[in-house]
Amino acid sequence: MKEGQRKLPFLLPPQVLAATVRPLREERYGEPDNTVKNERVTMQDQHGQQHRSFEFTGNGWEYFKIWIVNLLLSILTLGIYSAWAKVRRLQYFYRNTRIDGGSFDYHGQPKAILKGRLIAFGLLFGYNTALEFNPILGLVIGLVLAVVMPWLLMRSLQFKLYNSSYRGLRFGFAGDTRGAYRAFLLFPMLAGMTIYLLAPLAHQRIKQYQFENSRFGSSKFSFGASAKGFYLIYLSSVAVMAGSLLLVVALARMLGSGVAGAAGIATGMAAAGPLLILIMVIAVLVVGSLFSAYMQNLVWGSTGLGPHQFFSELSARRLMWVRVTNFLGVVLTLGLFTPFAAIRIARLKLESMGMAVSGDLSGFVADQQQQATAAGEEAAEMFDVDISF
Amino acid sequence: MSTSPSDATVRVAAAWYDGQTAASRPVSLSVEDGELLLSGSAGVTRWPLAEVHVSERLGNTPRLLTYAGGGHCEVNDQAGLDRLLAHAGVHRNWLDRLQHSLPWALAAVVLTVAVFAGSYRYLLPWGAEALSMRVPGTVLQKMGDSTLETLDRYMLKPSKLDAARQQRLSEEFARLHPPLDAQLQYRIVYRSSPMGPNAFALPDGTIVMLDELVELTEDDNEILAVLAHERGHVERRHAMRMVLQSSVVGLVLAWYVGDVSGLLATAPAIIMQAKYSRDMEREADIYAEQTMQANGMSPCLLVTILDKMEAAYREKEKKLHPQRETAQEDSTMDYLSSHPATKERAQLLCPRQ
Repeated sequence: MKEGQRKLPFLLPPQVLAATVRPLREERYGEPDNTVKNERVTMQDQHGQQHRSFEFTGNGWEYFKIWIVNLLLSILTLGIYSAWAKVRRLQYFYRNTRIDGGSFDYHGQPKAILKGRLIAFGLLFGYNTALEFNPILGLVIGLVLAVVMPWLLMRSLQFKLYNSSYRGLRFGFAGDTRGAYRAFLLFPMLAGMTIYLLAPLAHQRIKQYQFENSRFGSSKFSFGASAKGFYLIYLSSVAVMAGSLLLVVALARMLGSGVAGAAGIATGMAAAGPLLILIMVIAVLVVGSLFSAYMQNLVWGSTGLGPHQFFSELSARRLMWVRVTNFLGVVLTLGLFTPFAAIRIARLKLESMGMAVSGDLSGFVADQQQQATAAGEEAAEMFDVDISF
Repeated sequence: MSTSPSDATVRVAAAWYDGQTAASRPVSLSVEDGELLLSGSAGVTRWPLAEVHVSERLGNTPRLLTYAGGGHCEVNDQAGLDRLLAHAGVHRNWLDRLQHSLPWALAAVVLTVAVFAGSYRYLLPWGAEALSMRVPGTVLQKMGDSTLETLDRYMLKPSKLDAARQQRLSEEFARLHPPLDAQLQYRIVYRSSPMGPNAFALPDGTIVMLDELVELTEDDNEILAVLAHERGHVERRHAMRMVLQSSVVGLVLAWYVGDVSGLLATAPAIIMQAKYSRDMEREADIYAEQTMQANGMSPCLLVTILDKMEAAYREKEKKLHPQRETAQEDSTMDYLSSHPATKERAQLLCPRQ
């Protein structure tokens, strides 16, 4: 593990090293916004780099119309149309994501997605039914599923990346099966066996596997986040959570001070139930937002593509605000706010990200090998499994 | 606009990507003789229109014209591209129109709500009933066995009722003529439980009768009325239907609002399932009423025992919370309750009272 960490900086081109050493934050705040637009000024940057932010041009009302029509069609076709709806949703979000004047696109075939969904549904249904009537058979199927899962996840990464493009060039995924089993099975198992003490390490290994094997055209992504960063985020989240728990217990003790010992806490809890629940809900929200924001900043802040380096400065406070208002919006409109909520989250997350570009972004070339072996074509035939870690 | 513009008059600006590099070249698109012309600084490239795939319109996102031979053009000028395509004989399809019109979006909202409401109100109960009638007996048997096993382990105790009374009740009930459509097997088992006077039916036709309920009355006929009600649940396969209906409701809600919060999905699920439960109670009441009438007994017997059950629960409530006033039957609580209000059931079963 340590070896990997030490080796990484030397693998990176000097431009990337420069980008990591340079205080991205100060500079971005110090420079006026027009540096992004005015190429000539930034070209004279002493490091030869320009900062390009991601732009998101999606619009809530526009997406609402697409969403509701596709939702209705999905319901009327008992879910079959949802594969087409998914492709459309991804295309809407990809095509509205721009950087350096170019936009992204999604090329997944609805039929491949439908096939994957049917297989996944069948497996799950079979597993549940078997569990109900023949526990041993259910257990066997469950075990088989667990063993196949890393391979499935690898395939789904291939599917997802091969079907994504920017400026007409496809992304790709070159991860091997061995790596998939290490990242998706071995490390999560180790985490489980160590009462999750190794969970941050497992998380880091998964991200490392995902990013280091990703390609854009013939260029490789690099991932420099060490396990230390993951541990810091996990530890601070646990600390905030533990702190609010202690606060709740202390408050409960105060309110139930008339009664001695644990019974006092219980009485206090009962008396101030709603208030304490509110505190815990807020704590969960705060911790959730802190965790997501810091994780995005860590992961993307240490990701590079060829000579270019990503940066991410998502604010946990703003993420929390968007999440809370989204939640209220969705509840108060019985779900009709969902598409607006999705647009708001995507805008916030994407527009806090960008790239420190060395030279310009038109220098990428297609991966000739990928095209020759048509590995992507094969991957495109495969399952589409949504993974969310 | 003139009626016959020459082919070259409609031009749209586009960015051409060759698919080999990420570099873009500005070109101007036009249509001529069934071919798409890409005019740029390096000259003119021709793509046969039949080999060009035009991506569907999605809001104001850029649209792609992808050439089967490699490369694509990205167009941001929606209106211009529409004119060009109309020129080439390609028109917007119905889905494109649906997805980009506010009236249709509003119509889709109304239709979606209608489909949800209709499925909940009619389609799901109907489907669950049809399906539950086709579930094999062995499956029902397994479900009933495992439910009773779990109940016996955690909630039920052996009956303390004397065996003679148990047998007498079961025999008296067996002598009753069922209404015409009765065709499913049932069996009665006796248990005791701290949860108070009650009786319930399991998927396989097992009717569990609790001592606490039998002890509420000296009149066996009242117990027979309860058994008739429970047999109504068996006959209509309510237990199986409830499993099917509540799992579908749970699944749909989890899918619909699951992204937002798991808790948010549970609360409406409980409310929605409660309505199904009340509907089934009413069905079982009607079945009991038919049984009673077929045997020359008064359906009011069921009301009498229901009143006694309610009184027993009130009593229990008072003992637990002496300071709290006995809650009046609140009509708003009806929506959350798994059973219809006793008053309402009494009016249906025994209008004279």
